[in-house]
Amino acid sequence: MLRRLRVEDDMREMTHGELAAMCTNLQKACSKQLRSEEAQLFGLLAAFYEEGREKQEGCGYQDLLDTINEDLASGYQRANAVACKNQDRGSLRALVWGEKVSKLLKSLLVRYEKQKNSLLDGTNVYVCEICGFVYVGEQPPAICPICKVPSFKIQAVQKEAI
Amino acid sequence: MHAARNIALCTKDCVCLFVCPTGATDTENGQIDFSKCLSGCRLCVDACPSHAIYLVSSNYPKPQKKETEVKDSLFDLAASKVKQESMAKALASESDDPVFRQLCKSVAMSNHIMAEDCYREAGYILPQSDAVRSLLKDLLAKEEGKADFPADAVRKLLEKL
Repeated sequence: MLRRLRVEDDMREMTHGELAAMCTNLQKACSKQLRSEEAQLFGLLAAFYEEGREKQEGCGYQDLLDTINEDLASGYQRANAVACKNQDRGSLRALVWGEKVSKLLKSLLVRYEKQKNSLLDGTNVYVCEICGFVYVGEQPPAICPICKVPSFKIQAVQKEAI
Repeated sequence: MHAARNIALCTKDCVCLFVCPTGATDTENGQIDFSKCLSGCRLCVDACPSHAIYLVSSNYPKPQKKETEVKDSLFDLAASKVKQESMAKALASESDDPVFRQLCKSVAMSNHIMAEDCYREAGYILPQSDAVRSLLKDLLAKEEGKADFPADAVRKLLEKL
């Protein structure tokens, strides 16, 4: 079973993996405000939770695809409905980006199943640091097609042997 | 509120050196010396011909209230993204194919960024907010004394934020 912590006013439970993402989010927010010491402290906390991340050993490729499909079939629908009802612009913005990125991730994984390594051989893979958009190709686009950030925020992911 | 320089925009016009009353803009590292910068002075901000200097707030307005149901649905999505990140990491670590590992690593990074964005919009956009303070206090209360838990870092954050 996952080790969970009860956190915050509404006593929401968070796993270590979730807290790792929460802390890197706050680390980035501090960096944006040029609060480098606070950013570094959140980094320490993020590293602690990353170390304790709940492992998904033995999961298969199909399990990953199933989880994306679940988000696309129900997670985004539910979240969009409540964000709409509450006229929460910020949340609607995040949901639009996230749903597009998830659809593209799904199509990438489906294509990889068919084409295997020939899909990525001899080309590059990039991830947009802002929205998570994954791009396969020679050069990253000049601006991210999902969130419109300029390409210096779109990072190459290297092929690494073990 | 102090000034900061966006190095990517700065074209070394050096007007900031000329207008700054304290010499805060005269540094070796390309950034402004925040300790010398006069709060709200903004002479350099207005003078810079390349719009490379901006003001960093020290007092942000209270974040808008997040409804519990909105927050819940974003936390649910974030949990799913974190799970996918962990799955992609497991698939990468169990494979010795550099191309497949590259794919999984990208999927993991993408999901981590999407999870962060969900938390950002769930009320954790500003580190200096009540939501973050109460999260930090809660973590400290629960994890204090556990091996490797950076309790001092959390205490320092509570002090500084």
